[in-house]
Amino acid sequence: MNMFLMIIFTLSAFLAVGGALSVAFAKNLIHACVYLLFSLIGVAGLYLTLGAEFVAATQLVVYVGGVVVLLLFAIMLTGGSNLHHVTSRFGLESTPLMGNLRTYIMGIVTALLLIAVLCNVLQGSISASAVVESKFSSTVEQIGVKLVTDHILAFEISSVLLLGALVGAAIIARPYRSSETEN
Amino acid sequence: MDVYLPIFLLIFIALLIIFGALILSYLIRPSNPSLIKQTAYECGELPVGTAWANFNVRFYVVALVFIIFDVESALMFPVVAVYKRFLQLGSGGAVLLSLLVFIGVLIQGVIYCWRKGDLDWIKSYRTSSDVRAKGLK
Amino acid sequence: MNETIVSYLGETLGYSFNWAGTLAIFFIASLVLASIMALIGGLGTYAERKISADIQMRYGPNRVGPYGILQFLADGVKMLLKEDCIPRDSDRFIFKLSPMLCLVGVLASLAVLPTSSGFILANLNVGIFYLLGATSVVGVGIFLGGYSSNSKWAMLGGMRGAAQIISYEVPVTLTILSIVLIAGGLSMNTLVGGQGAFPNDWYIFHNPFSFIGFFVYFIGSLAETNRAPFDIPEAESELVSGYHTEFSGMRFAFFALSEYIEVFVLCAIAAALFLGGYNIPFGLQEHGLLGQLLQLAVFFTKSFFLYYVVIWIRWTLPRMRVDHLMILCWKYLTPIALLNLVGTAVWMYCFDGKSFYMILKQLFVASGQ
Repeated sequence: MNMFLMIIFTLSAFLAVGGALSVAFAKNLIHACVYLLFSLIGVAGLYLTLGAEFVAATQLVVYVGGVVVLLLFAIMLTGGSNLHHVTSRFGLESTPLMGNLRTYIMGIVTALLLIAVLCNVLQGSISASAVVESKFSSTVEQIGVKLVTDHILAFEISSVLLLGALVGAAIIARPYRSSETEN
Repeated sequence: MDVYLPIFLLIFIALLIIFGALILSYLIRPSNPSLIKQTAYECGELPVGTAWANFNVRFYVVALVFIIFDVESALMFPVVAVYKRFLQLGSGGAVLLSLLVFIGVLIQGVIYCWRKGDLDWIKSYRTSSDVRAKGLK
Repeated sequence: MNETIVSYLGETLGYSFNWAGTLAIFFIASLVLASIMALIGGLGTYAERKISADIQMRYGPNRVGPYGILQFLADGVKMLLKEDCIPRDSDRFIFKLSPMLCLVGVLASLAVLPTSSGFILANLNVGIFYLLGATSVVGVGIFLGGYSSNSKWAMLGGMRGAAQIISYEVPVTLTILSIVLIAGGLSMNTLVGGQGAFPNDWYIFHNPFSFIGFFVYFIGSLAETNRAPFDIPEAESELVSGYHTEFSGMRFAFFALSEYIEVFVLCAIAAALFLGGYNIPFGLQEHGLLGQLLQLAVFFTKSFFLYYVVIWIRWTLPRMRVDHLMILCWKYLTPIALLNLVGTAVWMYCFDGKSFYMILKQLFVASGQ
């Protein structure tokens, strides 16, 4: 079934990259969010072709079911998509620039750094293993065993991280801070 | 690999059903649009403004809390799946303990949100203590 | 063991399929399952109307075919013939996309539906987790449907719907976790295979926590599919028709169909996780095709029973208010589900994974000696 693998890989890769490009070029925020949905589904498909079915399912549950809805709600907080209809002096629709020279320099430096790191990482992995037909043993159980033996500390600490996120989410979303309103 | 085949086939069939039905209906349905017909339904009145307005922040909080629980369950699924095997091997106690610690830490978050009133849906823009004092809750 | 329909057929016929055969079998099986589900979705609307009529002492649909059973076909033809109205100010791209998202999400989740030990389409190792992921696409579809219409009713319905679906996914997921704890695996055949044919081997009676868990799951899945008493996203009395107010013709039909199929899928999962699924007694499942058909019959009977209960509840209980709904989810179901999870883990540790019935039997035998 190598051909099937190739088909799925091609479809997922096109979905992921095409979705990501559409996100970057979409003018409408909600449309960008929908493209992001497709991009994330494509990434889930890529995980599937690598045999990481648990990660693929997690991608579906957390990103498609959770993060996209969160982003949609966040966009609705700002009043939907009909925000920026700025026309340039040539009468063309344009989006206002976000940031100034300093942020652009920062952004370019960060992007270059990221690319360097990614190249470094990818170089090793590409040369090490071409596309290998992975053994589809139960990845869930392997992850589970790893989580409660080798990486038990990471497992427990992640719960503290999630606790912090929960409390933080609750605090920033309150209408007023309690210290202000007690006066 | 052919384990995943049905998923893609089902998606394909779903698209087939959708486009088949849409094309069939395109061929046989009437199409005489009019200005009034294409306005959004607002009880027979002309729609006022757009529906894409600012929304309550509560929805956002619900989504945030949901994502946290989602990530938590995604982390717990593999551990929970191997729990029985560890029990059979006789070292279930350690797994139980780590699971309990994990859930225990998260229950604190739930208790915190509960006590601070973040789990209430309708929250006045006054403080929750204010509301409680006036008995408006 | 038989993992999927292809390996089952290969074993019974003594023939190993090449990739074309596999593809063909999977395609036919998927097509059959999808059409059966579409039929169930259609008959669901008929059953809903007939049962509601029964409860309210009316006749219900009785003109088309015997007892009006062909009503859903007439409805389908009517939907096909309806004009496709798209509001002028709507977001046309998303307006056309959202019903498709709903239907694709629901149909994709059918791949792991445990219809019988041989006829399951894909026995994924992450079965139940995949199902959660696939059905969560429906929430996005509902929100986008509400958003794209640019109608206030639809917008409110979509927001409420998405918030409700993601909220109730929390207790449902936690309850499923506690069942996975008992079964020790995520694949559907593990989850169903750990149970027996008789109620004493079902996971619902495995321990007190899973008994409570069944109700948490059932309430949560009612809310996840926007069924009454949790149908505030489409509350007729306040929101006209909720997120699909502006949809007409086939696009509306996709929403309705996906809702009815999702109700069936969640009922089937409830039957599989708690009520023994396709298990049949006396080793009948060994009898080749007959056993498989019996398993199918048992599975569908349980699912339809739960489907009936869902409709029954809809026409019995009044709708809940939105804040009560959220309080029920976050202040009752979620803590209960968390405690269930802890309780099940402790039970499994203390009693060595034995069920309540097994402990009672042991005690009985011990006292008899």
